[in-house]
Amino acid sequence: MKMRLTEKGAQRLSISFLLAPALAVIILLFLGGLITGLLRSLNYFPLIGLNDFNFEAYVAIFTDNGFIQSLVLTFHIAFTSTLISCILAVAAALLLRPAFRGKRIVHFFFSLNLTIPHLVGAIGVLYLFQNSGLVSRIMTGLDLISKPADFPAMVFDPWAIGIIIQYVWKEIPFIGVIVLAILLSVGEDYESVARSLGANRWQAFRQVTLPLIMPGVVSASVIVFAFTFGAFEIPYLLGRTFPAALPVLAYQSYTDVDLAARPQAMAMAMVIAFISTLLIMAYMKLSRVYIRE
Amino acid sequence: MTQVKLSGLTKIFDAKNPPAVDQLDLDIDSGKLTALLGPSGCGKTTTMKMIAGLLRPTSGDILFDGNSILSIKPEERGAVMVFQNYLLFPYMSIADNIGFGLKMRKVSKKEIRSRVTDMLDLVQLPGFEDRKPNQLSGGQQQRIALARALIVEPNVLLLDEPLSNLDAHLRDEMRVLIRRIQTEMGITTVFVTHDQEEAVVLADKVALLFDGRLQQFDSPDAFYDTPRSAEIATFFGGTNFIPGHYQDGVMKTDIGNFKAPHSAVGDGAAMLSIRPEAIELGVGGDNSVAGTILSHVYAGRYARFQVKIGDLEIEAITEPGQVKLFGDGDTVPVNFAPDKIWILEANSTPQPVGADSAG
Ligand SMILES: Nc1ncnc2c1ncn2[C@@H]1O[C@H](COP(=O)(O)OP(=O)(O)OP(=O)(O)O)[C@@H](O)[C@H]1O
Ligand SMILES: [Mg+2]
Repeated sequence: MKMRLTEKGAQRLSISFLLAPALAVIILLFLGGLITGLLRSLNYFPLIGLNDFNFEAYVAIFTDNGFIQSLVLTFHIAFTSTLISCILAVAAALLLRPAFRGKRIVHFFFSLNLTIPHLVGAIGVLYLFQNSGLVSRIMTGLDLISKPADFPAMVFDPWAIGIIIQYVWKEIPFIGVIVLAILLSVGEDYESVARSLGANRWQAFRQVTLPLIMPGVVSASVIVFAFTFGAFEIPYLLGRTFPAALPVLAYQSYTDVDLAARPQAMAMAMVIAFISTLLIMAYMKLSRVYIRE
Repeated sequence: MTQVKLSGLTKIFDAKNPPAVDQLDLDIDSGKLTALLGPSGCGKTTTMKMIAGLLRPTSGDILFDGNSILSIKPEERGAVMVFQNYLLFPYMSIADNIGFGLKMRKVSKKEIRSRVTDMLDLVQLPGFEDRKPNQLSGGQQQRIALARALIVEPNVLLLDEPLSNLDAHLRDEMRVLIRRIQTEMGITTVFVTHDQEEAVVLADKVALLFDGRLQQFDSPDAFYDTPRSAEIATFFGGTNFIPGHYQDGVMKTDIGNFKAPHSAVGDGAAMLSIRPEAIELGVGGDNSVAGTILSHVYAGRYARFQVKIGDLEIEAITEPGQVKLFGDGDTVPVNFAPDKIWILEANSTPQPVGADSAG
């Protein structure tokens, strides 16, 4: 017994040695980046002559109307995308459940667009929903609108509709697959019990199915929220330049010719990282509660 | 009180397989306890789910008090099913589980609370309100599932093996409890079991199902005294079978002729059946033949003898004192009391239960 334990210990040690180089790189890149970012956000950047720590960058961004607008917009994008994705994903999973008993092919289609990169989706949205896009041209062709320019703005628009469409399209299958897996493992008997005890369809869903799938939905949506909150490429491609989503704003500030804007860019990145970290922690906690149950 | 009638009820899950329930006709008496008995996989749960409205029959009809209820939603049928695997809602307290049906009916919180307490007393788990299902043993969960069904005072109560997880002592208690509640409340109850003893102890009438088909629907004693086939007799415990020819109330066999006034068939090739308990050793007479005792077992409350008669070997169960009277190798008269003999179809030789011959 003792022998085996030490053997195991040795094994574990050698695994850590083997992993060490990779871990070092990850830690260096991640923590190094984080610490550098933090220092620079605190106005410490000797290379460009900033030597004293202060919170000016944070004060500057939080008093800047543009930043606040970006923050609100980013919350709007993340929240709306997550909410719509969740509702549609749960509905889709419920609809697909009967078809799934043993049918791989449906599963395949459902998970197909998980493999398509976000960028491709963004280009698709552009192609379809621009003022000169396919949808507006078809609608013009059908005389639903008189000219393509009359098509309501869905890309580069203040409500970030194009961005949300892209996220929803991409995240429905992600949440849906998780919810479907839970639904299939839970089975339909709990709903049957509820129906038999006098619950109508809606009550059975609301009182029984939803609580059973909720932990999974919450976990999935926290991931989606954190991602849509911090992702850069989609708002960059499909969003307005002002107000821009936070990650885009941070990028703009960082590439600004005025070097003094750098601490502010870093402060924004820190804010994004902070909010995402909070969400991931919430997620871990929720999933732990879920596992315990 | 509700009278339940199943008429040609059929469920086919998969056209490749034989029907799970096949042309089932059953008249379930109002306010009575009917047992649905049969081996695993014979379609008991499927039948219950169809009555509860949780599965749509492939064909056939279900009538409550003479009216078809196929188009009525499960929550409006007044038939509550208690599942085999209890299925308490895992995230709800015991009180919320039991009160679920009342909550769906928008009963006030206060009334729910007091009726839940009553129910917990009834199933002998007082004070369990705030526990979670995973803090209960299997038997306790089963009783909570029963309470959760009873609280809504159903017209038809469908119990799918509700006692399978209880130990012998608790099972006896729960049988008495179910019987008492059922009689008091006058709920038409269908009780699924694969245990023939449980069916006999509890039920007013027993419906025996093999492979989705009804074999016999009768009062419990009929399954022992007048089973309709050798398979049924076998399912209800060991029976002696002797092939022969039946004519004018006499069964002619290789080991002798026996008077047999009771028969399920007419004249012709037939099968004599007699239960081991009915065989009398050391008793002579018209229906008696000579046999040789091969071996015996003393089992405290009874004794069991293997007896060779001609080329046949039969089993006799007697009162325990008889081991003192007969020893192995003794030749004794073996009496087949005419009233205890039951004549069956000849070709229904004992087959593994589920074989396709009894239809
Ligand atoms: N949802 C389903 N899909 C396909 N086949 C099913 C389904 N449910 C049950 N069956 C089949 O129907 C037959 C009857 O099943 P059922 O559950 O009614 O048996 P049972 O008599 O309740 O058995 P047990 O005593 O083991 O609970 C079985 O052969 C089973 O495999
Ligand atoms: Mg069953």
